[in-house]
Amino acid sequence: MALHIIVCIKSVVTKAPENGIIRSAETAEMNLFDRPALESAIALVEREGGTVTALSMGPKSCAFVLHEAIAMGADRGVLLSDPRLGDSDTLATSKALGAAIKKLEPYDIVLFGTRTYDSDTGQVGPQTAVSLDIPLVTGVSSLNYEKPLLRVERKVDGFREEYNLSLPAALTVHPASVKPRDIPLSGIEEAFEKKKIETWTLNDLSLDPKLVGKKGSPTEVLSMKKMTRERKCEFLEGTLEEQAEVLIERIKETGLIT
Amino acid sequence: MNTFLSEKNRAVRRSVRAFCEREIMPIAGEIDREARFPWEVIEMMGKLGYFGIQVPKKLGGSGMDSLSCVITIEEISRACGSLGLCVTVHNSVAVYPIMAFGSETQKKRWIPPLARGEKIGAFCLTEPNAGSDAAGVEATAIRNKKGYLVNANKVFVTNGGVADICLIFARTDPDAGRRGISVVVAERGTPGFVVGDLEDLCGMRANPVTSIRLYDCKIPAENLLGEEGTGFQIGIMALDTGRIGIAAQAVGIAQAALEESARYANQRQQFGVSIGKHQSIQAMLADMATELEAARLMVYRAALLRDQGKHFSRASAMAKLYASEAASRITDMAVQIHGGYGYSKSYPVERYYRDARVTRIYEGTSEIHQMVIAREVLKDYAK
Repeated sequence: MALHIIVCIKSVVTKAPENGIIRSAETAEMNLFDRPALESAIALVEREGGTVTALSMGPKSCAFVLHEAIAMGADRGVLLSDPRLGDSDTLATSKALGAAIKKLEPYDIVLFGTRTYDSDTGQVGPQTAVSLDIPLVTGVSSLNYEKPLLRVERKVDGFREEYNLSLPAALTVHPASVKPRDIPLSGIEEAFEKKKIETWTLNDLSLDPKLVGKKGSPTEVLSMKKMTRERKCEFLEGTLEEQAEVLIERIKETGLIT
Repeated sequence: MNTFLSEKNRAVRRSVRAFCEREIMPIAGEIDREARFPWEVIEMMGKLGYFGIQVPKKLGGSGMDSLSCVITIEEISRACGSLGLCVTVHNSVAVYPIMAFGSETQKKRWIPPLARGEKIGAFCLTEPNAGSDAAGVEATAIRNKKGYLVNANKVFVTNGGVADICLIFARTDPDAGRRGISVVVAERGTPGFVVGDLEDLCGMRANPVTSIRLYDCKIPAENLLGEEGTGFQIGIMALDTGRIGIAAQAVGIAQAALEESARYANQRQQFGVSIGKHQSIQAMLADMATELEAARLMVYRAALLRDQGKHFSRASAMAKLYASEAASRITDMAVQIHGGYGYSKSYPVERYYRDARVTRIYEGTSEIHQMVIAREVLKDYAK
């Protein structure tokens, strides 16, 4: 049977909000770390046949990330959007995504980026896998379908690990594993003018609303502000040897070398 | 900002910008210095549909609207004016006239390779003695049994050094004034088709601008675009569209100049503070940003009118006049903000300054545009 790959993508805020977090096409974009996951899915389906469904959760104004995923090569876009999902933390988000993925059954692989660049928790992929009760490998650098198994590779701490996974399975894809393709103009035209994004609310899922949103979230984001990093410039004096000595001391102080 | 852009338009900007920042920006200085046409990038741009932006999908294009087209040109020009020029000329004054005036057979023959960027198009109107006075074309296309015998000396041909498909404006009737001009399509490689040396220009140096000469070139009759004597009309219609593209190019160059200047003003320290704290620099940045936004709105408006099927000729002339003049002022201020470094080739603003300058000259000088606009304004209020 042809593969069905679900890729979870997030629209991330690019501008620090002044009054609460508002996502719109002006202030948000597709999480850069999700692009390699999308690329891996599209490439695998090009090789093995099948379909790619892009799934996202957020306000309706975020549908554009799904259009963009379709422009890149995904076949279908599903947006999970319900005011009751507002203020969901990563756990509640994972439960909601898990419920949506169940509704998309049958599926073979669920892909995530390793993290997002607006909050960087890296939790949603693993938590969703737990909520679906399927195997998970994180930070995958390559994936091949060797029917009926999925063979994946993961490079970590100087080791290369290979896994065979039975399907369905979930993976988070390492950001440096593949170069996401550029989006052709014709893809954008087709995605935005001809393809409809399916929008689901909580009513479409078998999920207790108490498990999501503020009520279902054990953690709460209290504030989000842009951080400015203080940079210091210091001129070292003395002979080259003396400057090198001081430099080594300074680096040692940071703990980078011992 | 630009609240009337659709999500599709924004997606176009994001994707073109990402490509240009990665593939074009890093080499823009080098290809300017070396006057090199970067085929390796052109090939990628072809695959992304930048050479057939408004061509229908069935002919190999991207099938987009004018607004998406100008955003694409603006973003390419933000990275490199020369490539912005290549793309706008190819799309607006080479591909578009064939789409608008070509027969089905001609479209099927020429458009797909042009739309995929496998062949590059050129618009050959200007001659040593026919610039602003386009009706002064001296090139001749003499009809005989087999087709046309064409003799032409075309100068300052954008894309000339790499063009495969050239729209040649030539006289089919020596006595009929502007009604005696026709357009024949000459393909590179035809005996008598000669590409001149690369022009040693002030700016747009990565675009292979050359002369193209046709010596007793035998062009088959089926290469006539439209009808005999309609060349002037084809030229005017192509330029109406082309001007929106040139205006978008000016906006892109000016955008790059503004960004570079604001970054520099934040970073450069004089008198113990960043120069952005000085009122005179702030005044320049404010004027640059305001003029740029005004120019951009005019360009988008002209494109929107075209998309809506409304009369856009005056809007496109105004957009081209204003955007090109604004880009010259903006890039001039960018050099000024950078001081001595702005005049150095170590910084990109001197390239923006040189590249912006020609937008006031080609596809109709500012003065010709003033004349055209004034004529229409006077007509509005004539008794």
